[in-house]
Amino acid sequence: MLTLILDAVTTAALLFIISSGLLIVFGVMKIINFAHAAFVTVGGYAALVGSRLGLPWALVLPLAFVTGAVCGAVTEATIVRWLYQRPLDAILATWGLGIVIGQIITLIFGREVQFVQAPITGTVGLLGVDYSAYRIVMIAAAIMVAVVFTALLSGTRLGLTTRAVIMNEMLAQGLGVDSSRVRLVTFAIGSGLAALSGALITPLSSVDPNMGLPWLISAFMLVMVSGGSLFALAASCIVLGGVQVIVSTFVNPILGGLTIAICAAIVLRIRPEGFARA
Amino acid sequence: MTSRLLLASLALAAALSPATAADPIRIGVPVGLSGANSVVAPSVVQSAELAVEEINAKGGVLGRPLALDVADDGSGAAGAQKAFDALVFQKKVNVLISMETSAARNAGLPIVARGKTPFIYTSFYEGKSCSPYLYVNAWVPEQQVPPIVDHFNKEKKAKSYFLIGSDYAFGRGMLSFTKAYIEKTGGKVVGEEYLPMDGSDWTPIISKLKASGADAIVTSTAGGAPNVTLTKQLRAAGVSLPYGNLAVDEGTAKSMGGDATGIYISASYVTGIDSAANKTFLASMSKKFGADLKTPNDLSVPEYEGVYAYKAAVEKAGGTDPEKVLAALAEVSIEGPRGTIRMDKQRHAPLTMYLGQVQADGSVKVIQSFPNVDPGAQCPPKS
Repeated sequence: MLTLILDAVTTAALLFIISSGLLIVFGVMKIINFAHAAFVTVGGYAALVGSRLGLPWALVLPLAFVTGAVCGAVTEATIVRWLYQRPLDAILATWGLGIVIGQIITLIFGREVQFVQAPITGTVGLLGVDYSAYRIVMIAAAIMVAVVFTALLSGTRLGLTTRAVIMNEMLAQGLGVDSSRVRLVTFAIGSGLAALSGALITPLSSVDPNMGLPWLISAFMLVMVSGGSLFALAASCIVLGGVQVIVSTFVNPILGGLTIAICAAIVLRIRPEGFARA
Repeated sequence: MTSRLLLASLALAAALSPATAADPIRIGVPVGLSGANSVVAPSVVQSAELAVEEINAKGGVLGRPLALDVADDGSGAAGAQKAFDALVFQKKVNVLISMETSAARNAGLPIVARGKTPFIYTSFYEGKSCSPYLYVNAWVPEQQVPPIVDHFNKEKKAKSYFLIGSDYAFGRGMLSFTKAYIEKTGGKVVGEEYLPMDGSDWTPIISKLKASGADAIVTSTAGGAPNVTLTKQLRAAGVSLPYGNLAVDEGTAKSMGGDATGIYISASYVTGIDSAANKTFLASMSKKFGADLKTPNDLSVPEYEGVYAYKAAVEKAGGTDPEKVLAALAEVSIEGPRGTIRMDKQRHAPLTMYLGQVQADGSVKVIQSFPNVDPGAQCPPKS
C-alpha cells in the first residue's frame, strides 16, 4: 500500500516537473508549444554533455536550464512571435520545429541510446519499504519547481507584468508593459524548465533523440485540464498520475499508459474548465 | 518526349543485353538504420561490408563480384515494405541478407515471395516464421532461453520467476516460450507484465515485482531505450535478484556501465569466443574500420556468416537461380566466427549457445557453453 502511494506521488512529481514548462507557456501565450518534447530532449543531451565534461550535478542542472532557455528565446524571436494570432498554425510550427530539433540532435550525437550516470543511486528505507532514492528526490524537485515558480510569479516585477499580460494584454500594453518582452522571457523560462526536466529524468531513462516524446501527450493533457493554473496542474498531476499508477498496478500497464489521455478527455467533457477554479 | 523515348529505349537495351561475367551479384540489406534498430544496424552493415570485401578480394563468387544495396526499413512494417519493394523490384537484388525487427520481416515476406528472392534472416527472433524463401542462421527461443532458466534453476535455486517485456511480437513470443519452459522444468511464473514499446516508466511493474517475492527475473524488451530504462529503474529500486535479459547485447551492456553488472545473457556470439576464426574476424574488422568499428555482436556476426552462406550456396547451385540456391542453402555449411553453421533444420540452424554474465568492467564473462543446441521443430512439414 505504501509502495502504491509512493509510486503515485513520485509519478505525479515527474509529471509535474515535465508539464510545468508547457503550462507557463500556455498560461501566458495561450499557445501550445509542441516543441516541448524536443526541449526536454535538449535538456537530456545538455545533461549528457555536462556529465561527460565532469561537471557536478549542481552545475549540470543550470546548464540544462540555460541551454533550453536560449533555444526557447531563439525560437520565440524567430518563429513563435509571428503566430500569436494563429494558435493552430503555432501547433503545426512548433511540432515541425520539434522534428527539426530532433534531427539536429541526431546529426550531432547520433541515433544511439546514451547514458548519464545517476547522481544518486540505490534505495532508501522509508517506513519499512525500500524505495528508489532518486524518485524520492523527484518529489523535492517538484516542490522546488513549484515554489520558485510561484515566488517568481507573485513576488517579482516580472511576475507582476506577466500576470498583467495574462489578465488583459491590451490594458497592460496601455499601461506601458512591453508585452513582447514578457512573452520572450516567458517562452525562454518555459523552454528552460522543459530542458531542466529533461536533465532531471535522465537518471531514470535513456538519452536518445526521441526521449521527450512519450511524455508529450501526458503533459499536453495535464495542461489542458489545468487551464493555466499551477495549483490546478499540481492537482491534476496527483489525481491523473495516481489513477495511472492504480490502473497500471491493478489492471495492466498497457492500459495504464492510456489512462491520462482518457481521463483528461472525460474530465474536460464533464467540466470544460477542468481542474481550474475559474 | 523524345528524351523520355530515348530513356525508355536505353532501359530496354540495358534489360535485353545479356549479363556479362563481371555483372555483380547484388545483395540487398534492408536494415533499421532509423528507429528502434538504429543502435545495432551500423554494426550489421559493417559485417556485410567486410564479408563482401573479403569475397571480392578473392575473386568473387563464380567470377562475379558481390555488390551491397543497403536500404533503411525504419525498423518497422511500413518502412520495410518500401525497402523490400525497392530492393526486390527496382534494384533487382539476387538475395536479401539482413537483420530486422519481426514486424519488418513479416512485412517483407510477401514481397520476397512475389519476387521469388531468397532471404537469409540473420536476427534472433521469436521463431516459427516459415516462408519457403526464408532461411534463418540466428537463434530462436528454443535455443536461447534454456541456458538461462536451467542456470537459475540449478545454481540459484530459483523456483518462482517474474517476466517483464515490451508489448510486441518478439517480447511476447519470447516470454510465452520462457513461461512454458519454466513451468516444464518445475518452476512457477508469479507475474508477467508488459509495457508499450515507447513506454519509459516501469514503476508500477517494478513495485509488483518487489511485492511478488519472485526468486529471479527474465526480461525481453525492445532493444535500446526500453531495455535501458527498465534496467536503470530496476537498479534504482534496489532489485538485485538474478536477472536474465533476453534482449541485451554486449555493446549495450558495456555502455550501460554499472547498472548492467550481473545481468545474465544467452547468445550465440560473444566477442570472447576463443577460436581462430573469431580472432581472425575480429582482427579484420578492426583493421577495416579502425576507430569507427562498432563492436561485433550477436546480430552483426550472423550477417557476416549469412553472406558466406549465400556464396557457398551459389557455388553449389552453379548460379544465382533462386530455386537452386534455396535448395543449396540447406546443404552448405560454413565456418564462421560462431563455428560451423548449417541451416539444415527446417531452414533454421543448430547453434552453440553461450551463457554469459556482465562483469563490472562491462565485459561479458562466459559461464558455460552449450554446443550445437537444436532449434527444435520450427517449420514441421505439413502432414
